[in-house]
Amino acid sequence: MNSHRLTPYLFILPALAVYGLFVVFPILDSFRMSLLHWESPLLPPEFCGLDNFRQLATDHVFWRALSHNLLLLVGSLLVQLPLAILFAFLLYYPTVGRTLFRTAFFAPMVMPTAAVAVLWQYVYEPGNGLLTSLMRLIIDPDFSYAWLAEPKTAMLWIFVTICWQYTGFHMVLMMAGLSSIPTECFEAARIDGANEWQVCWHVALPALRPTIAVSATLSIVGSLKYFDLVYLMAGGLPEASREVLATYIYRLAFDQNQGRYGYGSAVAVLLFLVALAIVVPLQARRLRSHSGTGRTAAASSRGRAA
Amino acid sequence: MKKFTGRRFVFFCLRHAVLLGFLLLTAYPLVWMVMTAFRTEGDAQARPLGLPEQWVMTNLAEVLRSGEFSRAYVNSLMLCTASVAIAVVLAALAAFAFAQLRFRGSHVLFLLFLVGMMIPVHVTLIPLNRLLGVEGLNIKGGLVALAGPYIGFALPISILILRGAFAALPSDLLDASRVDGCSAWGVFRHVALPLSRPALATVVIFNFLTMWNEFAFALTLLGPGCETLPLALTRFKGEHDIQITQTSAALVLVVIPLIIVYVFAQKHIIRGLTAGAVKE
Repeated sequence: MNSHRLTPYLFILPALAVYGLFVVFPILDSFRMSLLHWESPLLPPEFCGLDNFRQLATDHVFWRALSHNLLLLVGSLLVQLPLAILFAFLLYYPTVGRTLFRTAFFAPMVMPTAAVAVLWQYVYEPGNGLLTSLMRLIIDPDFSYAWLAEPKTAMLWIFVTICWQYTGFHMVLMMAGLSSIPTECFEAARIDGANEWQVCWHVALPALRPTIAVSATLSIVGSLKYFDLVYLMAGGLPEASREVLATYIYRLAFDQNQGRYGYGSAVAVLLFLVALAIVVPLQARRLRSHSGTGRTAAASSRGRAA
Repeated sequence: MKKFTGRRFVFFCLRHAVLLGFLLLTAYPLVWMVMTAFRTEGDAQARPLGLPEQWVMTNLAEVLRSGEFSRAYVNSLMLCTASVAIAVVLAALAAFAFAQLRFRGSHVLFLLFLVGMMIPVHVTLIPLNRLLGVEGLNIKGGLVALAGPYIGFALPISILILRGAFAALPSDLLDASRVDGCSAWGVFRHVALPLSRPALATVVIFNFLTMWNEFAFALTLLGPGCETLPLALTRFKGEHDIQITQTSAALVLVVIPLIIVYVFAQKHIIRGLTAGAVKE
C-alpha cells in the first residue's frame, strides 16, 4: 500500500498500548516479583534470587496442583474427544432434530463457569441434590455421599462437570471437520464394498485427523486455564487436594489476605512457562503452514453443519 | 439411495437412542435447575426430581427483591458494553494493519498478540492487582478496574478473527479505492469496516459473552458492594446455600437470558469459540 511509513504503526498503537499495559507488562512484572521474598502486603519485599523456585521444588501442594492440571488434561483427551467424535459421527447421518441436538449439546459452553459450578454443587449436594436423589431412586433409598468432600475423588466429579460443559464444544468442532471432508471419499469406499463401520474407522477418522489435532490443542491449552470450577467446587477440601495451578496462585496471594505475592508469582511464572512451552511450537507450526488468511474450522463448516 | 432395510432401521433407532440418552444427560441438570427455581422449598426437599407440585414465582421475586441481582445485572451490562466497544475499535484498527498494510515487525507483533490468546489469564492476577491498586493506577475495587484487563485479553482473538476477515476482502476493490485517492484510513473506514460486518458481529457477540461470564478478575479486582453477575451469583450461593430453590432462581436469572441469546446468535458464538482452532 502506498501510504506513509508511520501509518501502520498508528493503526497498531492503541491496541498495543492497552495490550502492553494490561497483558505484557503484568507478565513481565510477575517475573520480577517471583524473585522477591514478599510474604505479606504489610512487609516490604526483599530480593531473594531464585529462593521461591527452590521452595517450589519441595512444595507438595504445588506438585499436586500441577498433577491435577495434568490429570484433567489426560482425562479430557481420553473422554471428551472420543465422545465428541462419536456424537459427531452419529449426527453426520440423517438425523431427526439434528439442529436441536447440536444446539443442546453446545449450550453448557455458553454458561458462565461460575454458574456451572453453582449448578453442579447442587447436583452433587449430599442431602437432596440431583445425583444423590437419583441414586436414592435407583439404588438405595438411604444413599448418601458427600461427592465434593472426599479428597481422593472430588477432582473426578469436577472432571465430570468439565466433560459436561466441554464435550459439546469438541463435538461441534468435529462436526465441522467431518463436513469439510468431501462426501465422494465415503461414496467411493462404499462402492468398493466397505460397510459403514469401515467407512467411519478407515476413511472418516483418518480424514478427521487435523480436526482432532485442533481439538487436542485446545484441550491442552485450556487445561492450564482451569480456575472457576475448581475454585468454587473444591473449596471445601484440604489444601493439597483442591488446587490446580491457577487456584493455587489465587489462594497464595489473595485468600484470607495471605498476600504471598512473591511466592505466588513464582507459581505464575511457572504456569506461564509451561503454557509458553506448549504454545510456541504449535504457533510456529501454524505460522509456517499458512501465511494468508486464518481459515477456521467453524468457517469452513458453514456449508453443511451450520 | 439404498433401500431402507431392516439393518438400517435398527441402526437409525440405535443412533437416535444414543443421542437422546446424551441429550438427557446434558439437558436434565438445566431442566432440573429450572424446575427447582419454581418449586416451594418443602417440595424441593421432599421430591427433588420430578415436576414441581405447584409452580411458584416467589423464588424469582425474592431474588429480584434483594436488589443485589438487579444491580449486578446493570454493572455487568455497563462494563461489558463499554469494554466490548473499546476492544472492537482497537482490534479492528490493529487487524487492518496486520491484514492490509506492510510494515517492519508485523510478524513479531502479530505473534505477540497471538501468544496472549493462549496464556492463562491467571498469570497476571497478582501483578494486575498491584498495577490497579493503590501503588499503581488506584482504580481497584470499582468496575473500571476490570475494563483494562478485559479489553487487553479480548484483543488477541478479536484481532485474529478480524484480520482473517480483512485479508479476505477482494483486493480489486481495495486497489480501486486506493486509486480513487483513499488513504489507509479511508480504506479502513469506508471499505473494510462496512464489508466486514459479519466478522465484527462475531467479535462483538463473542467478546460480550466472554466478559459477561468472566470470574477470576472480578473475584480479585472488585471490592465489596460492587459485583458483576457471576460474582453476585456465587456470593448469593454462599449466603443462601441451604435454600436451593432461591439459588436456582438466581441461576435461572443468569443462565436463561444467555441461552436465549445463544439460540439466536449461535452462529457467531460458535464461530468465535472455535476461531482459535485454525486448521493446519
